[in-house]
Amino acid sequence: MYTSVVRLQNVFGFFTTVAFVVAAFIAASDFLTERAPIVRTLKTTSVQVVRGRPHYYSSKKEEYAVINFSLDADLSSLFTWNTKQVFVYVTAEWPAADHAKTNATNEAVIWDTIITSPSADHLANIGPVAMKKLRKSAGGKSIDPNRGKLSLKNQRHKYKITHPSGKLAMTDNVTLRLHYNVQPWVGLLTWDQDVDYGYWKALKNGVSKRFKLPAIKEKKPASAGAR
Amino acid sequence: MAEQLLDQVRDVAEGQIDFEGQKLVELLVNVTLALTGVVSFLVGYILQDIKLALQIGLAGTALTFILVVPPWPFYNRNPVKWLQVGGGLVPPQSLIVDEKSFR
Repeated sequence: MYTSVVRLQNVFGFFTTVAFVVAAFIAASDFLTERAPIVRTLKTTSVQVVRGRPHYYSSKKEEYAVINFSLDADLSSLFTWNTKQVFVYVTAEWPAADHAKTNATNEAVIWDTIITSPSADHLANIGPVAMKKLRKSAGGKSIDPNRGKLSLKNQRHKYKITHPSGKLAMTDNVTLRLHYNVQPWVGLLTWDQDVDYGYWKALKNGVSKRFKLPAIKEKKPASAGAR
Repeated sequence: MAEQLLDQVRDVAEGQIDFEGQKLVELLVNVTLALTGVVSFLVGYILQDIKLALQIGLAGTALTFILVVPPWPFYNRNPVKWLQVGGGLVPPQSLIVDEKSFR
């Protein structure tokens, strides 16, 4: 501590220790906050299977499921002071062909979105007008639980899904499932859970009813006749 | 002349402080930084605002740097009194080194 340089090093050294400890406390504070996400509605509104190509020059034809859905969910309890953003996604899941032997499940994302916390609005990858609107929606609050309230009616799918085999039509026992991934400022990433851990409750009602994918949509006779 | 000037520049750049000052600096660093950490966490947690916690933490650290790094005059209130070169002073009456006394 005799010269300025030594004092500089000492202060910085202790600062890193303090910063680490405070960060650890912030991360730990997550475990004391209750999480009780709930899904009120998750159902398909229209399901189609169409034939298509993975890309324009592909000669391979595959079957694609086009699933639109309605979702009403309350994830507001996921937003605390340590939440940076929440990644929400809906998957379609169905048992694999050899499910009885392997217990394997097919799972594909049909829709996703990123919900930023007001403290992370500046990181959102959107244009200036949308950014202004997003910042305004927080109303100056440091956390905005309202952002966790999702209400989608007949939401268009974001991704068409297929299967490595290229066959999807008439698949039975398909369910939609809501997932989330909480990304904190400090601490561990956490995903939706099936069981309760302390104050963190499992996602309630996050699976839709089972449904069957329809047969491939037939082309209309008129367009089929024209070459 | 140039040598004197260089000496002055070196003194300012090195920023030496005395032993009592070093003890005080040690205490100040530990207390201010720890307090900054505690305050930033508590304020952030109570107001649920992580940006504020970060700002308090960084501001407190910046203050600590300003308080501690430059050789402020109050760190040099107890300069060491060296004996004069060539024994200007009478040596102390009993000087004990390794339990042997020197006279």
